[in-house]
Amino acid sequence: MDLASLGGNILGTIPLGDIVLYVTPFHLFMFVVVLIFTALIAISRTETQVEGSFGTLKDHKVSVGLSEFKSRRFLAIICGLATAGAMITGDLFNFTLFIALIGIVNVGIVSAVKQIDVLDAAYQYGIIAMICSLPLFGGASIILASTGTLSLFELASMATATPMMIFGSLLLLMGVAGETGIAPFFATKAEMFRTPGSPFILIIHLSSLFVIIRTIEILLIIIKII
Amino acid sequence: MNLMANIIINVVIAFLVGSLLLGFHRKVMARIQLRPGPPIIQHFLHSLKFFFKETSFPKTAAMPFYVAIACMYCAIWITAVIVGPISYGSLLLIFAIYAVYKIVEHNAGSSSGSPYGKMSCVRAVFSAAAEIPLFAVLVIIFFQTGTMNLGEIVAYQSANGPLIFSIPLAALMFFILLVSKSPYSPFSITKGKDIISGYETEHFGVLRGYMMLSESISWYILLWVFLTVFIGPLSLLGYLIGMVVITALIAIINTITPILNPNHSVMSQVSIAIIGIGGSLLIMLIV
Repeated sequence: MDLASLGGNILGTIPLGDIVLYVTPFHLFMFVVVLIFTALIAISRTETQVEGSFGTLKDHKVSVGLSEFKSRRFLAIICGLATAGAMITGDLFNFTLFIALIGIVNVGIVSAVKQIDVLDAAYQYGIIAMICSLPLFGGASIILASTGTLSLFELASMATATPMMIFGSLLLLMGVAGETGIAPFFATKAEMFRTPGSPFILIIHLSSLFVIIRTIEILLIIIKII
Repeated sequence: MNLMANIIINVVIAFLVGSLLLGFHRKVMARIQLRPGPPIIQHFLHSLKFFFKETSFPKTAAMPFYVAIACMYCAIWITAVIVGPISYGSLLLIFAIYAVYKIVEHNAGSSSGSPYGKMSCVRAVFSAAAEIPLFAVLVIIFFQTGTMNLGEIVAYQSANGPLIFSIPLAALMFFILLVSKSPYSPFSITKGKDIISGYETEHFGVLRGYMMLSESISWYILLWVFLTVFIGPLSLLGYLIGMVVITALIAIINTITPILNPNHSVMSQVSIAIIGIGGSLLIMLIV
C-alpha cells in the first residue's frame, strides 16, 4: 500500500533501525495541534464553575484549588505529550504504549477532584481501560508474531494481510475503544467532564479523538482490503 | 495564482457562500412555518455585526484558553479550506480537522464557567461519540476507491461514476452528519434551546464574530466535501446548485422534526452509523 494515499505525500522519514518514523501532512497537522493545545494548557488558568443550588435561589461557585491545579496540569501536559507521541510514531508497539499512558493519565487528571460522581466515573473508566489493555497489547503482539515486525512502514509494504493480522487488528481496535472511552464506553467518560478545569478535560477529549483517527489510519495500513 | 491570494479568495468565498446558505436555510424554515422570515443576507450581516460590537469576558472564564478556543475554531476551518478546495488533500486530514472542531465545540462551552456552556460541553462529548462513527464513512470510501486523496477520489468518480450510486448508505451517513451540523437540527443537542445557545452562550463581540464566521465556513466545507466525495467532478455552477438543494432539503427536515433529547439523538446517530457501515460493507462484498 502507498502510505501517501492515506495521509498525503510523505514529507520525510527518520530511520531508526527497523522502526522508521514517517511524516505526512496528516501526522504533522495532528502533532502540531496537540502541541499547541498542550502549550495552551500549560499557560492557562482554570474557569470557576457556577452551579445552581437546589432549594434556594443562590448559586455556588466551584473552582480548582492550587495543589489540585498543579497536579492536574502536570498530568494534562504528560497526556498531551503522550498524544503527540502517538500521532507521530511509526511503530505499533510505541503506539500502544502511548495509548496505555494516555489511559492512565486520563484517570489521574480527574482523580484529584473531590466530587463523588466524577470519581465514580473515573473509577469505572479506569476499570474499562485496564481491561482493554489486554486486547490492546495482545493485538500488537499477534501482529508482531504473524509479520515479524511492528514497523508501520514495513507493514505497509507487505502485499497481503493474513487472517492472524486481521484478528490482531480487531483486538487492537477493541483495546483502543476501551482505552479512549469511545462508544459504547463513552457514557462513563462524559460524566468525568462535569468537573471544573476546562483546559485539563480538553486533553482527555483531544487524546481520545486523535487516537481514534490515528487508529483508523493504522488499521487501514495493516488490513489492506484493497 | 499566488498561493496566499488563492487562500484568501477561497476563505472569503467560503464565508460568503456559507453565510448566505445559512441565511437561506432560515428563510426556507420560516416559509414552511408560514412566517416571512429574515432576509437571506441576515446571517452574513449578523456575523459582521459582532466584529464591531464590544467584547466582554466573563469573570469566571479560563483565560487565555477562553479566547484561544474561539481563535482555534476559526483557524481549523480555514485549514479545512486549504486542505479541501485549494489543495484537494487527504480526506483523513479533513477528518482530523473535524475532530478538532468537536474538541473546540466542547471546550468553548466549558471554558466560560457558565452552567449552560458546561451542559453543552458534556453533550458535546456524547455527540462526538455519535458523529465520529458517522465520519468513519471515510473508511468505506477508502475501501471503494483505494485512496483518501480528494483529487484521486474525484478522478475515480470520473472513470467509474459518482460514489453516491455505488455506496449509497455511506452517502446517507454523511448526509446525516450534515443534518447534525445544521442549525435547528434534531441532533443539535449542543446548541439546544433548553441550554440557551449552548457553547456560544458566553461568547460576545469579536469572539462571537469569529464563531459565526467559522460556522459559515464549516457549513460550506462540509457541503463541498459531500458533493466532491459522492457526486464527483462538478463545475462551479454544479457546486452552487448542489449546495442550495442540500441546504433546502436539510431545512425542510429540520422544520418538521423536533430537537431530540441527548440520549435519543446519540442512539439514532449511532444506529444509523452501524447500519450504514455494516450495510455498505455487505453491499461491497456482494457486488
